[in-house]
Amino acid sequence: MSSVAGGLAYFVPAAQTALEATGQVIQLPSPSPTSIFTSRSPSPSPSSVPGAFTVLLLGSDDDSKFSADHVLTQSMILVRVVPSTKEVTMLSIPRDLYVHLSTGGFAKIDGAYSYGGPGAAIATVQQDFGVHIDDYIWVGLLGLVKLIDAIGGIDVVTSNPVMDDYYPADIYSGWPYDYERVAVLAGPQHLDGIHAMQYVRSRHGDLQSDFGRSQRQQQVLMAIRQKAKQLSPADLPAISAAIGGELKTSIGLSKVAQLLPLAASFDNPDQIRQIVLLPPYTHGDGPDGSINPNWNLILPLVRQYFP
Amino acid sequence: MMISRFLLGAGLAVVMLVCGTTTYVYLGTKQSKVAAPAQKPTAATPRAQALTLPGTLYLAQSGALYSLSAGRFHQLTPEAGWTQPSLYPDGSNLVAVKQTRAYSDVYVINRFGTVLRQVTSNAAPARNKDTGANHWSFYPRLSADGTTLWMAYDQPKYGYDVVLSIWAMPLGGTVRQGRLWTSANDYTGGDVQPLPVRQGGAMYTKYSYGPDTKLISQLWYTSRAASAGRALTTAAEDCRTPALSPDGTQVAMICTYEKQVSYLTIASWNGSTLGARRTLVSDQLVAQPTWAPDGSGIAFLAPGVAAGEFQLWWLPKAAYSPPAPSPSPSPTPGGPHNGPLPSPSPPPPAPPVKAIQVTTNDGFDATSPLAWLG
Repeated sequence: MSSVAGGLAYFVPAAQTALEATGQVIQLPSPSPTSIFTSRSPSPSPSSVPGAFTVLLLGSDDDSKFSADHVLTQSMILVRVVPSTKEVTMLSIPRDLYVHLSTGGFAKIDGAYSYGGPGAAIATVQQDFGVHIDDYIWVGLLGLVKLIDAIGGIDVVTSNPVMDDYYPADIYSGWPYDYERVAVLAGPQHLDGIHAMQYVRSRHGDLQSDFGRSQRQQQVLMAIRQKAKQLSPADLPAISAAIGGELKTSIGLSKVAQLLPLAASFDNPDQIRQIVLLPPYTHGDGPDGSINPNWNLILPLVRQYFP
Repeated sequence: MMISRFLLGAGLAVVMLVCGTTTYVYLGTKQSKVAAPAQKPTAATPRAQALTLPGTLYLAQSGALYSLSAGRFHQLTPEAGWTQPSLYPDGSNLVAVKQTRAYSDVYVINRFGTVLRQVTSNAAPARNKDTGANHWSFYPRLSADGTTLWMAYDQPKYGYDVVLSIWAMPLGGTVRQGRLWTSANDYTGGDVQPLPVRQGGAMYTKYSYGPDTKLISQLWYTSRAASAGRALTTAAEDCRTPALSPDGTQVAMICTYEKQVSYLTIASWNGSTLGARRTLVSDQLVAQPTWAPDGSGIAFLAPGVAAGEFQLWWLPKAAYSPPAPSPSPSPTPGGPHNGPLPSPSPPPPAPPVKAIQVTTNDGFDATSPLAWLG
């Protein structure tokens, strides 16, 4: 009994953090009057492939420039996992995509979370892209940094030197509107949390701006998955202590336990599909610097990979 | 009776405390250690059974420079942003980069880490609060005569478009006396890793947008300042980090084929073009291949375990240049042999020579080239 107590003492802090962060209830907003007429897939249904599921990954600048409950999602990635075939598809949604929000009206898609939390972000993606989303994971800036540090860093082949003279110095700086210089050199390397964040967040030095950044985000996601394969359950207390409060998900604890061994079984890089909605799927010149979607091309693509 | 009950209770309490604590501590020991920080090379010398590499190798870890000589590491500089060491042609000193959060400069240091001279001055004037007024210098290399410093330098740059270009300047002069050698592509990160060659000019890595709009790297060669130069590798190969063999006839590089892989590749070099590629290591994330000065092999950095920090590895020459076959047996003494000669039995195939891991928990800076003094 005392051994059980010792075990509980070891895992309780992690369980407490996990209980707070996981199993978040999603409140889908009731459709706005206009969405009845514009929704492309009024009631997306769960996937017909047994066991397949879709998760919406959300990443936010949650520094002190923003109110805690009203952050934009700078990163939105749809991930579909098919356990039976060990296939993974990642689709990055441009943050500036001009869409109809589930809360009403048209705006950049990164505002959906700001207006209605994860429920609004999910509902917006579901109605506009015609997909069914099973769960979401939200992580803040500091959360990503802490997560990567907690797992001991990641190995990435950075595609090119990422140079930025005006990178936001908003994580550890006292003045969140400040700038700093960033130089993440190219090639295979071991990145800690801060440098991984700089690599996925900088966009000024990329001709493709947010699209280029999306490709780098997918690289880092894959590297985190690769590192997660080395973890043991005994690592959970340290990791949860590190990222406490910086991560929220609707995935319950029991499902997390099922997913961990599953993640380790996805080994074939050829079965991991990465999609970024570059032109002609999207094009510039939208209102307020937004990007216009070409739904005629996007929806068939989504139907193909997120059936 | 009362005393024995008390003793029993106290004993049980102690047992429970010990069991509980032991379980807690035991679970702690079951952590994967993935987050354990790398050790200083001086604290974790190469494994006892590791081979001793020839000469002295210079590496960077956590902003400090180290030398590895006769199997022992020595820390040369404090952890203060030091990286990318490169030797003088005569091996007397090194040039290296000292990087801060806003800028980086090239310094001359001696082989014991003492700073002899600051070569560049890339910090913006104190009164200028524009972060873009600072500059980066990376990948310093000296010409064969030791008088010209080659480097990647972020000039010119235009607002958000910060790209590195290849510059050459007098080692005893200033950047103002330098010459811009290459024209970097906008919004790519630019041109890096200059490697001055005997024929004049430099080989370097150029970043550009490939046919599929992805950013790719290629080895380029230019023989004249401000000339376009030409590509030595294709976009699809996605190669970078050139290193010239001691005799100048081969180039080692890493090629990533636009994927999260990094193959150690070599090719012959005739001073103008690269020959057929030969992949030597394809199952590791290889960085910074460096030829041994005595031609005995290639050192490189790669993770010691999957997704781990980068360690020092050694690939013996036998892996890419097998020893010449032994001469055919001489005629049997005692006069001419009549009749058919016995067919020699083929030698058993030699086992493939694999790379050897030299360090185990050091975590070297994989973006810092290695310097090797013979």
